[in-house]
Amino acid sequence: MINAETVRAQAAGVSTPPVLELHDVKKSFGGTRALNGVSLSIQPGEVHGLIGENGAGKSTLIKVLCGIVRPDEGAINLAGRPYMPTTPREAKVNGLQVVHQEFNLLPYLSVAENIFIEHLPRNALGIVKRQEMHAGARAALDAIGLSDIDVHWPVERLGIAHRQLVEVARALMTESRILILDEPTATLTARETERLFAIINDLRSRGVSIIFVSHHLDEVFRICDRVTVLRNGETVFSRSIAATSQDELVRAMVGRKLQQQMASEIVSLARPEEALSLVNFRHLQSPHAHGISLRLHRGEILGIAGLVGSGRTELLRAIAAAELPLSGELRLEGAPISFRSPREAINAGIGFVTEDRKEEGLILNMPIAANVTLASLADVSRAGILDAKAEIAVTQRLGAELKLKYGGPGKNAATLSGGNQQKVVLAKWLARNPKVLLLDEPTRGVDVGAKAEIYALIRQFAERGLALLIVSSELPELMTLSDRILVMSQHRVVGELSRPEFSEERILQYAYQGEQQQGRH
Amino acid sequence: MQALEKTQVTETDDTRRLAGWSPKVLLRDAGIGLALLLLIVFFSVSTEHFLTPNNISNILTQITINLILAVGMTFVILIGGIDLSVGSMLAFCAVVGGTVLTIPDLSVFQAVALATLAAIGTGVVCGFLNGWISAFWGLPSFIVTLGMLNIARGAALQVTDARTIYSFPPSFNAFGSQMIFGVPVVFLIALVLVAIAWFVLSKTVFGRLLYGIGNNEEAVRLAGHSLMFYKVAAFTIAGALVGIAAMVYMARLNIASPIIGIGFELNAIAAVIIGGTSLNGGRGTVIGTLLGACITGVLANGLILFGLSDFMRQMITGVVIILAVIIDKYRERLTGV
Amino acid sequence: MKFSRFASIVALTVATALPTIAVAADKPVVGLVMKSLANDFFKNMLEGAEAHAKKRGDYELKAIGMQNETDFESQLNGVENFITQGVDAIVIAPADSRAMVAPLKKAMDAGIVVVNFDVSLDEQAKKDAGIDLAFVGPDNRGGAKMVGDALAKDLGAGAKVVILEGNPGADNAAQRKLGFEDAIAAGKLDLLDSRTAHWETEEANAVFSTMLTAHPDIQGVLAANDSMAIGVVKALDAAGRNDIKVVGFDNVPAVAPMLKDGKLLATVDQFGSQMAANAIDKALEVVAGGPKLEGWVKTDIELVTKDNVK
Repeated sequence: MINAETVRAQAAGVSTPPVLELHDVKKSFGGTRALNGVSLSIQPGEVHGLIGENGAGKSTLIKVLCGIVRPDEGAINLAGRPYMPTTPREAKVNGLQVVHQEFNLLPYLSVAENIFIEHLPRNALGIVKRQEMHAGARAALDAIGLSDIDVHWPVERLGIAHRQLVEVARALMTESRILILDEPTATLTARETERLFAIINDLRSRGVSIIFVSHHLDEVFRICDRVTVLRNGETVFSRSIAATSQDELVRAMVGRKLQQQMASEIVSLARPEEALSLVNFRHLQSPHAHGISLRLHRGEILGIAGLVGSGRTELLRAIAAAELPLSGELRLEGAPISFRSPREAINAGIGFVTEDRKEEGLILNMPIAANVTLASLADVSRAGILDAKAEIAVTQRLGAELKLKYGGPGKNAATLSGGNQQKVVLAKWLARNPKVLLLDEPTRGVDVGAKAEIYALIRQFAERGLALLIVSSELPELMTLSDRILVMSQHRVVGELSRPEFSEERILQYAYQGEQQQGRH
Repeated sequence: MQALEKTQVTETDDTRRLAGWSPKVLLRDAGIGLALLLLIVFFSVSTEHFLTPNNISNILTQITINLILAVGMTFVILIGGIDLSVGSMLAFCAVVGGTVLTIPDLSVFQAVALATLAAIGTGVVCGFLNGWISAFWGLPSFIVTLGMLNIARGAALQVTDARTIYSFPPSFNAFGSQMIFGVPVVFLIALVLVAIAWFVLSKTVFGRLLYGIGNNEEAVRLAGHSLMFYKVAAFTIAGALVGIAAMVYMARLNIASPIIGIGFELNAIAAVIIGGTSLNGGRGTVIGTLLGACITGVLANGLILFGLSDFMRQMITGVVIILAVIIDKYRERLTGV
Repeated sequence: MKFSRFASIVALTVATALPTIAVAADKPVVGLVMKSLANDFFKNMLEGAEAHAKKRGDYELKAIGMQNETDFESQLNGVENFITQGVDAIVIAPADSRAMVAPLKKAMDAGIVVVNFDVSLDEQAKKDAGIDLAFVGPDNRGGAKMVGDALAKDLGAGAKVVILEGNPGADNAAQRKLGFEDAIAAGKLDLLDSRTAHWETEEANAVFSTMLTAHPDIQGVLAANDSMAIGVVKALDAAGRNDIKVVGFDNVPAVAPMLKDGKLLATVDQFGSQMAANAIDKALEVVAGGPKLEGWVKTDIELVTKDNVK
């Protein structure tokens, strides 16, 4: 069935001009290249897969297409005419609709109101014609097979999957030529995914082109006619789905060149003593009864890889008691322990460098010294009264140790560059002499030079016997730093690699296999 | 080794910044001080009686209660909260204190001591409830203290059966209008409270974390501090200060009525905002609050001496509040965040 | 004791808020619409009315109050509820002299006897609505004139005085100010300044202190209520001035000691506790078939000084 469709679409692709064409589109944010030459061509009535690692440029590309971001260079043609939308509205008028990853529905309004929000049917007085609206919404939902949803319901009554489908219905309200689905199955169950695929097939037969962004390679193979791989903001290739394989796609996403970066001469500093171990440890959102089990030794750097949404961050947050875990056991130096608040975890010797430095790690508008001592105020105060000189001394000592470049301990943290801000966060935890340090994306938003410095610091910490658990989306980073890597998928550990086994392909294969096993039985 | 040598520090600039006195803050406080000075100069020139010792001590007396309430409000606003209940709490604390004060057969000292305890205790309980309810259930303090506004007012009416309490001990009453070198004693009490609040906010772990919470609650929580404790403490301190203000009210006016203090919370908030404290929390000083209270007091007094009508006076006070916030916005934009 | 007092008010309020079935016809039902019961003055008045109902025993009293002085809404709802319940008479102290005209017209159209007390409804508004409604109440202007005259007599012609006004926009505040001005004109006093202190002690204290700074030669103060007079007296204490005479209005218990030791020259008692009861008597006369009330039925007012204070 799908094969027949594929053949048809391909056949059509040869004879008809593309509905959407991108030539060498480039976009930079500040110093970072988000898009570095993306070319793409979409045929009418085809389902086109768009895949790539985190940070490969998929989101930016979507933003360019729907008018949120203006590209710096390159040309886009829509149905043969130059197309450069400046507002999302303009994109919609041109028949380009996006169903975003994060929902854009208004939870307290009815399904019908949400579907019609952009063009409510109104009479001459500007009063909404409710009957017309409800009938229209009903038709829209029926058209995509959602007859079981009452259009009068407020959206908040719907489950996540239904909300996603209502978004699809809304996107289809306007005559669309191109529908972009950004990670549409991330929150869907197998049955709901089937339903979505049925809708996609139906749309395809009506001549609508669909750009299908997904991490799930098996879905790409099931539903797409062609696929384009992005890496580091560039198009690696576009190919008919019949002419490629999962392995080829993974290799294309990763890129060959990175493999040389592996520094195999680094020796593990892991000591025999166990620092932290987890047994069937579950965080609040974990769907698996067995949770996660792992063991971390003193002086060891354990990397955790996985796709976004695989539960890596949630795991770290649960260990640090930022959110309380659901069940399972946590052992610190062999002794079972449970924390009821971050305070207890910190007192037991756990430090947690969060993923979002600005929101959770630093107080930007307060002095650097105040940030450094934030977790160890008892050490720089007597009877609750702060000793500013002691604070400055600690800051200067750690600042020197971490090679912090700063104007002075009294300057606000906001005055620092990303890398130096991250060093302040590290200093905050070092000031407490923790036993275990959890790092979530330790070099996010950090420039290349500072990155290398932070890697060296992390190795130093391990040398001192600190146990480190590192989550990162950058596989080269994990492979450079880690003694071992655990691969997580769907909130479980699906693979473990020791240093000699490290390769991006193997990590990604584990990650994607985990998705498949998990996904649809 | 190098690092160790460097630890011998005397850098006063950094210590000052850590105590919350960055050049930016100094600039802001200086700006507010300048505004106050300009107002004083203006009224001194344009009216005959403004700059007389009597009028100055009048102004100081008149701002005392608002200043004490505003100091408490500063703690609450610094953590990003708001307390709308202080006016009602003032009435509640006053009638509880006033009831104790008029218990027969107590010596003046006993009566005043017990009444002070009762008034402050009442404020502490109300403030604690404000903080605890909003922190425990994660409710906006705007809503919780709006509830307390009604509860405290109702409680004040209930315990007094809506009657005014009067006839306090004469020496207590005399204390309310006592002067030292022309400065009202009650104002000196308020100044001492300002000094204590300044010390707590700029020199203690407690104060540091209040600023921290106002700036980035989650960072403070993840650094191992109990948000609950600090939030409850801020509201409780505000409540205790309401209790003190209630005693000052009774000493000055010799009555305690359940309908006093209506709208006082807005005056206190105005003083805090004019003093440069951000309603979003995390930014501001109690010195600013002192200056803000002085500005509102000088305006209220000076505009009467200037001969402006009541209605114009009210309008100008409103304009000043909005101006203060606008100027603060510009200052922030010009000097950077 | 206090609690039962409170409970009875609550019970009354609740009872009237519910649309009850018309009460057995033998006793006439009087609906009493009060202002804020958080105010001593109206509280006393309500208690007076309740005592009166008990004493007479030949009518049933239903009373409602409001949250605060500007809460017109609950008065409006109260009147509507009384109409629904089919009471025989509505006796009302209107929160606003214009806003209450329309609902009262509705009550009169429904055949209910309406008596207006405390604050008179606006003449023009009554005329516009086409209703003729008598007012039973004290003469605020006359009372203010009375106490102002007492001050003028004490000070003599040419004395310099200031006025502290009530809430701008409030009817009784305006009437009292007019009365003060009448007295000032009659006694040839010199009015230096007139400002509002919103009926409040603390504000009166602050505002008057400042007026005193501007005009150190003030000889007399006319305060539109006693709460403000208390604030003025405290300001004089603080300034050490015992040469300035103060008069107030309302005769609240807290001013008795001040009258006795001369800190307050005089105040006016309008016998608030009996005002509602008087109005109810008048209403019942009409219900019983008596002649329709007309114009202004003035109630007693009395000047209270050191000599007659209790």
